[in-house]
Parts: sequence; structure tokens; C-alpha cells
Amino acid sequence: MIFRAKGIPTGVNDLIVGVITRNPDHHGESLIWVGDEFNYGSYIAHLSCQSIEASIVPTIANIQALDHLSDGDIVSIGQDGIVRTVYRVNSFYNTILATERCNSNCLMCSQPPKDRNDIPYLFELYRRVIPLIPKDCLELTISGGEPTLMGEYFFELLELITRELPKTDIHILTNGRTFAWNHFAERLAQIGNPRMMLGIPVYADYYQVHDYIVQARGAFDQTILGLHNLARYGIRLEIRVVLHQQSIPRLSRLARYIFKNLPFAEHVTFMGLEYTGYTPHNIEKLWIDPYDYNKELTEAVEFLAGQGMHVSIYNAQLCVMPERLWGYARKSISDWKNDYLPACQACSKLHDCGGLFTWNLKKCSAHIQPVFEDVNLLTS
Amino acid sequence: METLSPRTNRKFKDIGYYAEQQSNYFLLPFRFHRLNDDKEVLVNEVGDHLVVPLGTAGRIIQRQLSIEEDADLYGDLVAGFFIAEQEVPALIDVLATRYRTKKSFLDQFTSLHLFVITLRCEHTCHYCQVSRVTTNKDEFDMRYEHINKGIELMLQSPSDYLTMEFQGGEALLAFDKIVYAIERTKPLAAKLEKQVTYVICTNLAVLDEDILAYCKTNNVLLSTSLDGPGFIHNQNRRRPGNNSYELTIKGIELARKWLGTGNLSALMTTTNLSLDHPTEIVDEYFQQGFRSIFLRPVSPYGFALKNEKKNKYEIERFINFYKKALHHILDYNKRGEFFREEYATIILKKILTPFPVGYVDLNSPAGAITNVILFNYDGAVYASDESRMLAESGDFTFRLGHLDTDTYGDIFYGEKAQALSEVMVNETLPGCSECAFQSYCGADPVHNHATQGSVWGYRPTSTFCQKNMELIRYLIELMDGDPQTRQIFEGWISQRRAS
Amino acid sequence: MPKYSYPIMLLTLRMFLITHTIHVIAKMENQNHIEGNSIFAYADERLFSKEAIFKCLYWYGDHFHTTVNINDGYYQLQLTTAQEISREELKLFLQKLERDLIDFNLRDMVSKETQNVRDLLIAKAFSNGELDEDPPGEISDPVGFSVYENKG
Ligand code: SF4
Ligand code: SF4
Repeated sequence: MIFRAKGIPTGVNDLIVGVITRNPDHHGESLIWVGDEFNYGSYIAHLSCQSIEASIVPTIANIQALDHLSDGDIVSIGQDGIVRTVYRVNSFYNTILATERCNSNCLMCSQPPKDRNDIPYLFELYRRVIPLIPKDCLELTISGGEPTLMGEYFFELLELITRELPKTDIHILTNGRTFAWNHFAERLAQIGNPRMMLGIPVYADYYQVHDYIVQARGAFDQTILGLHNLARYGIRLEIRVVLHQQSIPRLSRLARYIFKNLPFAEHVTFMGLEYTGYTPHNIEKLWIDPYDYNKELTEAVEFLAGQGMHVSIYNAQLCVMPERLWGYARKSISDWKNDYLPACQACSKLHDCGGLFTWNLKKCSAHIQPVFEDVNLLTS
Repeated sequence: METLSPRTNRKFKDIGYYAEQQSNYFLLPFRFHRLNDDKEVLVNEVGDHLVVPLGTAGRIIQRQLSIEEDADLYGDLVAGFFIAEQEVPALIDVLATRYRTKKSFLDQFTSLHLFVITLRCEHTCHYCQVSRVTTNKDEFDMRYEHINKGIELMLQSPSDYLTMEFQGGEALLAFDKIVYAIERTKPLAAKLEKQVTYVICTNLAVLDEDILAYCKTNNVLLSTSLDGPGFIHNQNRRRPGNNSYELTIKGIELARKWLGTGNLSALMTTTNLSLDHPTEIVDEYFQQGFRSIFLRPVSPYGFALKNEKKNKYEIERFINFYKKALHHILDYNKRGEFFREEYATIILKKILTPFPVGYVDLNSPAGAITNVILFNYDGAVYASDESRMLAESGDFTFRLGHLDTDTYGDIFYGEKAQALSEVMVNETLPGCSECAFQSYCGADPVHNHATQGSVWGYRPTSTFCQKNMELIRYLIELMDGDPQTRQIFEGWISQRRAS
Repeated sequence: MPKYSYPIMLLTLRMFLITHTIHVIAKMENQNHIEGNSIFAYADERLFSKEAIFKCLYWYGDHFHTTVNINDGYYQLQLTTAQEISREELKLFLQKLERDLIDFNLRDMVSKETQNVRDLLIAKAFSNGELDEDPPGEISDPVGFSVYENKG
């Protein structure tokens, strides 16, 4: 999937945010015209793959290709001539990247943080993007980095979404540490959006293991306190557990810890490791073939589900896990990151299976093999 | 302290860097108990337990643990709130929330209201000291003005969920009064937005389709008695014709046809005869389609009151009976059936879940008054079913008042209630105060009074203590010894299977 | 926070002594023994708390009349049977008593050492958050962040 295109800018003096259209009958203050020829009308910018001589609106010309943009997509255009896709109208998986800053540094981070203050810029960007998002948008994910480092901007952003998109589910991925300070949780509660849910990772029941995995001292205590503060305001919570060599040994204890100390969580998700970001660098410390943790995973999942908690498994392949877990596996990987192995083509479960992250094709379980339906029927 | 100081770089550090421990660890409140010759169990202040090798408590307290050599145990102890690395543990607020949650059954002040709607009965069970075979309704049925007053008091309970349970004698002999009481309660409860569950305790002998039709329309639950196979049940429950068992089974079938399986439950009373037949009783319940059985401890009133030696012998017999029956139930589960024992389930919920568990005999503060109140057929108010039994034998210690003369305040906050509340917290009772099973057990002043002549009780000879201490120990030992048993137990406490 | 707080120092000393308790009890003149219908047991006053002794003896009241004296720095425990008990059984009782004395002393140490934190815990449990602690640790990223500042 392409999220970025570059061309030659003319007349771009400022950040431009708008909605893509190729329909000559569509005009509007927030529309960006895409086409080789300019269409006279009230557009805020023009994108073209050709070279453009003179133009009356800001223009990016000589772009290699624009096929990746659909009418209705929202893009940002910078003075550098880069056209970034910020919202894809035909996708269920739209993410607001709140910041690339982070106060943790997880061993398996898929989007390693950057120590640069991008918050004022990104806030300004989304302040303009959000009103343009279709009102029937089903779900928006807010991720980072650590979104809460936006401070008051974080809450303003959420207020804006709540106002503009009252029917949209908001899924916020945060490490939850800032909510250890009660006023922060209270401030979030003031937004009062029942469609908002926080996904917060807990990797172990014991602080040392969790702090090591997220590479931050005190993180475990802060996250657990944060979860409790959030729960006291009735904020909906999901607990996210990434499965790898460091989290597996205490997984069964973690499941019990969650039930006892965090029983208010609405959802617990167990997630396979993504082979991207920091993971390749730390692979020695992280890798364990998912097939080899089936016992631990089954125990944890069945314990929590048995106690009435809602449990899911993400980023996992059906053929690797025991059949009793299939009911918990979800097709969770965003469309553009999702792929299958050649062997999968022969598999009868292809359509039920979540498959792999594209970047996991080169690092996956040695036990992936097509599942054949009703072998007995065929042989009898 | 929250600070602004940025981290210096993003170089990965190894796990040792993340250990907080500077010098030594601090203890958090916990208690311990020997499980067997190899193991002991630690229980923390919110009731989480950890089974460890014998001598571990001593090592912990004497600061002989090493974070490196005992890494897993050390992690378990910190994660499980047994020790902390700061004098005031970082997660003390989480622990406090859990403590409050565990004790929050206190918020649901008195939800169970027993109405002894009549003392009349057509049975003459030999262990029953209270009921009468008579047709004298005037003397032995609850009077309308007492029913009215009882309902009035019940609806003053701060609890939003109430249970109104009709007992006897044989409650169905006064079915007209039950209907009267339910019909009177319905509109009043609706106005106060309280939800009332209605239960009739009955031996089913006089059950008919009209009664069932009424129960069906009004969601009334039936609770019956089944003591085991015919030869036990009929021996326990005497009636003319010696056919109590047959009538019960017929009644069960009929009731199920009308109400479905879920709305009929059965209780057993353990008698001398039952004690010799644990497996037969369990099989009977299973065959009759029940998927749960409550192996109720012999009530103190079956005991030779205040005869310590004999009581000790009796309770040992009960414990053996219970263990055999439990094994038999577990065997059913191991064959893939769901079949649970309720007494174990209550204890296991306390051991394994973070939630409050209300059960009259096992709460601290004790269940009497805080969970249950009883209005007797004659208008007297008692702290529990056992209290009125005592009264029948002339002991009025737990009579809290009378519906004719006393107000809600007189009854619930009166002198007797106050005096009782003092001995209702097992945290402060001698013996219990140091006991590891304190949070799984309870205080039962009524039992103490009946068997030992003192509401405080004396633990070394208390049958209540002997029974609970051994059963709790045994359940933990079973779970620790066999993962399959542990899974079965976890299935019993599951929130998913309501009822 | 100091490296060793005062009670810890004291405890460490006590610990050391306790690990040697069995040995101390076994000194000739104060040797635990059975005589007729009675068990005699001794516990060093410096090592055992009065609470531990009494809480332990409480559980022997169903079988024995119990008395405690202090003599020469030792608690002298005498347990006399209320009914006929065989010598073999008495031996088992003595063995259990020795074990229980240590256990109850340990329990007493925990309860004394954790009294403050337990009180705090219960006070917090029935408060409305006004006793909440400030969270531990730092929260900032390398760029600099404060939960008390308005904008990131
Ligand atoms: S073979 Fe491929 S499609 Fe089939 S279950 Fe395995 S990963 Fe999924
Ligand atoms: S009654 Fe016995 S088992 Fe129960 S808490 Fe008290 S001492 Fe422990």
C-alpha cells in the first residue's frame, strides 16, 4: 500500500488538507482535484502526473502515480511536494498517528519512536482532517508513539472527534502510564464518549519483566494504576498482550493476574509478534515459534474465557494453533498489511484465517501448513 | 515523583536494570497455613493464595530470599502482594480497591428475607424440631398484618435486589398467603424500583398444576429437599405412607415440565444415615437431572449440643463423607459432565475470584442480619433460620424483635443487633485472627452460641472451625495437586454459568 | 528512603536468633520434655513474643490445662492433660507445639511489622481516593513531558 507520493510543488505555501475528487461535477472548499488537466472550479489544490505550466491553485505536478488515491480519501500536501494519505475512505482500518514520541521503548515496537516534537504539527493536521472524515466512518484508531504525550491536545483531539463523528468507534492505543495520575483519567472521562475504548498493553504480572519488555522503569506500576483510575470512571478498557519469548513464561500467571486485578477489562487480546520495527534487531530475545507456546496460550485464553471475560487472539494463523482456539482467533490485520504464504492457497481455511503481516512472511512459524477439510470423508 | 527529566538515549538495557530492589524487601500483611508435609499456603490481605514449599513463609519473614536465586518465587510474591520493595507498595491503591471490592457485600445490606409463612406440615421429619401436623391455621399460619409489616420492613432495606423466601413447615399448605404476599409486594417493589426474587421452599408433596401455573406467570422459583435415594430420603422424611421420596420425584418432574430445569433447585440435609452413603446421594442427584448438589454441613442442631467430644467425632464423620462425595462428583466432571458441589463452589469463589461472595454461614462479618433476616409465623423477628430453631427450644438470644412492636431501626440497629455485630468480624476473633483461611471462612455467632454457649466461640473445639479449616485446606491441596481438578474447580466458579 | 530502616535492623537480628532457636531451647536446663501427664516447654523471652506464646497455647486448650511462667529469661510452658493421653500421643503434641511456637512467632512478626501498612490499606479502602498516593517513577519521553503541563 502506498501512503505517500511526491511531485513538484507550485504555490504551496502552507499545509493543505483536503478530500480527493476526480468528478468534474464536484466542487467545494475542501476538495482537491486530481487529473491531468485542471478543472475550473473551487478546489483548494490540484494533483497531476503531468507537468503543469501555470496554475491558479496550489499544485503538485509530475507525480509518478496517483492510482492509490480514491475519491473521498483525505490527503495532506506539504511545501516539500509530498502528498500523504491521511484517511482512506474504502478502508475499515484508519489510524490517526498522534505522535511518534514515546515514553517507553518496547523491545518489539513496530513503529519505533522518534525524539522530535511533532505534536503541534500533527495536532494542526488532524484538527483539519477530522471534520472532513465521513460521518459514517465506523472506527478510528488513535495510535503513536504514545498519544497521551500530546497532553491537553490529546483531549482536544478527542473532543473534536466526539463532536464531529458521534457514531464512530474510537480505539486508542496507549501504554496507559499517564493515567496513573488521576486528574489525567478524570479529564478523559469528562469527554464522556461511550464509543471510546483504550487498548493498553500489560506484558507480565511482575513489574520487572514488564518494565524490561517496555524498557521503562516504573512503567508497570504506572500502567496498572492507570488502568484502575480509568476503570473508576467507567472508561472502556482492552488489555493487549504481545506473545514472545519474554512474555510467555509468566503468561498463565498474567491471565490470573488480569482476572484478579483487572476484571473490569472489557476485552483481552493476545497478539502474535510483528516482524518489523525494533523486532528484527531484538529477534534473539523475542523469537519463539508460536507453535511452541500453544500450551501456555491455550491455558491463558481458556482460563479468562472460562471466567466470562471476552478474549481474542490477533495476528495468528489457524493452522499453527490447536483447533479449540480457533473460535478466539480474529482476522485482525489491516488490509494493506495482510498477506498469505503460497502454501495458503491450498488451504480450506484461507477465508477464515487472519493470515500474516506482510513483514512476517519472512519470519513465521515453521508449522504453517494448509488445513484440509474432512480428510476422513475423502478417504472413506 | 513525576519529573521532566528526559531519558538519555534509546539503547536497550538488560533485565537486571529493571529490578527496583535496593536493599531488602518489606512484608505485606499475609497469613500462612500448613497444607501437608511438603507444602504450605500463603494468603494475602485480599484473599489471593500461593502454594509454596514448607518453610517458605519462614524464609520470607527472615529475609532469606534472594531476588536472583529465587527469581520466580520472588516475582510471584511481589506480583501477588505478599512482599513489596517499598515500605508503602507502589500499588497500594490497587490493593485497597480490591479490599473494598471483596468486602462490598456489606453494601448489599440484608437482601434475603425469610417468611415462615406457616408452621404446619404434613411430614414428621425426625430432625425437624419446629413443624406441626395440624389444621389449625389461626395459630400456625402467619397473620396478614404480620405479612404486611414484614413486607414493609423488607422494602426498607437499602438493597436494590431482594429475595423473598417462603418457608414452612410446608409453605405450600399456606399457598393462599404466599399469593397474598407476592401480590402485595409486586406493586410496592415496582414503585421503589427494587427487584424481588420469589422463592418457595417446599417438599413438593402437595404441589399441583394451579400452583405451578402461578409460579410460572410470576417467575417464582421452587426449592425442594432431596436427601438422596429413596431409602435415605424416606427414612429422613417421615410421612404417612412412607412415600416422601416418590412424591418428591413426581413433584420434581411436574415442576420441571412447567418451570424448566433452571427454576427448581434441591437442597439436602445431612443426617446420620446419609453419612454412610456419599456416593449413592451424589448419584441420585445426578440421575434426577441436577447438575449441582449442596452437601450441606450437618447443622449444629443435629449435634448433641455442647457435647464437645461427640461433636468432634460427628464433624470428622461429616468431613469424610464430604470428601468421598466430592471425589465422586469430581469423577463425573473428569468424564466430561458438568456437575458441581455448592459448598466447595462458595469457598472456591472466595479463594479464586476478586469478587465478594455472600453466603450466610461463611461471611465475615457474619451473614446473620447483614445478609438475612427471618420473620416467623408468629411475628417474631430472628437473625437467621438457625436463630428461630434455637427459639423453638426456648433460647431467645437471637430474637431481634417483633413485628407488632418494633420498627426497622429497633430491629436492625437495636441492642441485640449491635451486640451481635461485635462478634461478627472474624478478623478479631481469637484463633481466627491469625488464621490463613480467615477470608475464606466466616464467623457464625449463632452456631457458636448453640454449640458452645458463647457467641465468641472457642475455636479449638468448634465444629464450625474444624469443618471449614479442613475443607478449605483440602480444596487448596486438591487444586495444587492436580491441574485437571484445578480446571474443574475454575469451571465451577465461572461467571459464565450463572445460577 | 534509607537503605535499612530501624525495624529492619532489629528484625535481621531477631531472624538470626530465631534460626538458632531450636538450638537455644535445647539447652540442658531448659530442655523441652514430658513428665507424667505434662508437657514442659521453654521459649527464650528475647526471641518469642508474649502474643505468640498465648496465641499458640490457645489452640491447646481443648486437650490441656496450660500455664505460663517467666523464669530466668525463659517462658516456661506447662501443658497438663485434661484427660488420659498416651505418652506416644504426648510426644506428638510436643513436636507440634515446638513447630507451632515458631509459626506463631513468625505470624506475630508479620502482623507487627505490617501493622502500619495494613491500617493504611484499610483506611484507603474506605476512603474516596483522597488518600491516593502520587504515582511512582518518571513519565517523560526524551523530548520532555509533564502530566501537569497543558500542551504537549
Ligand atoms: S495455511 Fe495459511 S491460510 Fe491456512 S491456516 Fe495456515 S496460515 Fe492460515
Ligand atoms: S473458624 Fe477456624 S478456619 Fe475459620 S477463620 Fe476461624 S480459625 Fe480459621
